[in-house]
Amino acid sequence: MTINHHPPEDLLASFATGALDESERLVVAVHVAGCQRCGRFVQAMEQLAGAALEDAAPAPIVPGAFDAVMARIHDHPAETVRPLPPRVIAEHPDLPEVLRRCRIGKRRRVAPGVSMQPIELPGGGKARAFLLQSAPGTRMLEHSHTGTELTCVLKGSFSHQGGRYGPGDFDYGDDDVDHRPIVGDEGPCLCLVAMTGDLRINGFFGRLISPFIRL
Amino acid sequence: MGDVRRGKIADKRPKAKVGWAELIGRVASQGDREAFKSLFEHFAPRVKGFMLKAGCSADQAEEIAQETLIAVWRKAGQFDPATTGVAAWIFTIARNLRIDAVRRAARGGKSGSEAELADAADPADTADIVISRVEDASRVKAAIERLSAEQSRVIRLSFMEERPHPEIASMLGIPLGTVKSRIRLAMNRLRDLLDEQR
Repeated sequence: MTINHHPPEDLLASFATGALDESERLVVAVHVAGCQRCGRFVQAMEQLAGAALEDAAPAPIVPGAFDAVMARIHDHPAETVRPLPPRVIAEHPDLPEVLRRCRIGKRRRVAPGVSMQPIELPGGGKARAFLLQSAPGTRMLEHSHTGTELTCVLKGSFSHQGGRYGPGDFDYGDDDVDHRPIVGDEGPCLCLVAMTGDLRINGFFGRLISPFIRL
Repeated sequence: MGDVRRGKIADKRPKAKVGWAELIGRVASQGDREAFKSLFEHFAPRVKGFMLKAGCSADQAEEIAQETLIAVWRKAGQFDPATTGVAAWIFTIARNLRIDAVRRAARGGKSGSEAELADAADPADTADIVISRVEDASRVKAAIERLSAEQSRVIRLSFMEERPHPEIASMLGIPLGTVKSRIRLAMNRLRDLLDEQR
């Protein structure tokens, strides 16, 4: 898998420090899991954050905290609550592990050749994340947004003025972008998308899809 | 960081980062309470201070600091000095706990929602697993060390301390318009340094 399109560095930095919105974190996580180059960058940010932690002005811990912590450790010596192993979703048996750990909603057809599945995020919030599946050759909606749209390709490809986006590639759209992706002919395209703000739909397709995206 | 501190606290404290890694190793292999206590006394107040600066309330910061050290005990066996530094590892634990705390607050602190989510994986752990840490930590460290002091400072102020750009401008005595470009240049430089080492 050759990855040609990466998240902007400030997004990776915010990912590393835990400052991203829930849905954005998920999309960046999926990219980083498959991209050693960005993984290294995130590690570098974590090292810098570690140095900042080491230099942080110590704040006094409440008296007796150490004994309280030891008591909690002895009550539960090991972590007893572990997440269940990743599930295999029949429709998408080969999703990245991060996604297989999420709860994924029902698939809905939103337009000819296009369907979506919402991803239920534990924190809620304004942002939405969903899987978007499009048939080969689909011309996607022409759209722009008031917020941001983060996309990571899982399967297949699409192209727009920014180039061709294949598996692992990351696309960052903000309110400056007004593009109209075309899905590659080689097969269906499956993307993970996180969206903040409002989508402005410019085409016929968009008017169809918009009630579904505004969850 | 590497400075020698005076007083009896400093005597008990390992001087180098290797020392912290050794203490974690002792916690992992023997459940060494004294080793853990040294780690606790050094890192818990720093995690708390870091979280306060990041905007947590005093109670939240205290809770995250204590939970972080509990996780240090429980996960000590997972610490791998070849892939990360001690402070960075502890930072990632604290960061994930903070993400969890934000999520709990967003759910309205309802414990019922925990049960609802029981059959679904909790993506809270995603931060733990996403990065395949194949790289040697020393190589990442070498790249960071090649950043200029000015560059690592601006990255730290902007992302680790989450300071607004006007504040960074006045701290560094540079025009506001320069802050953004300086951050960008620093990030690009770090990318290049990391790419070079392949």
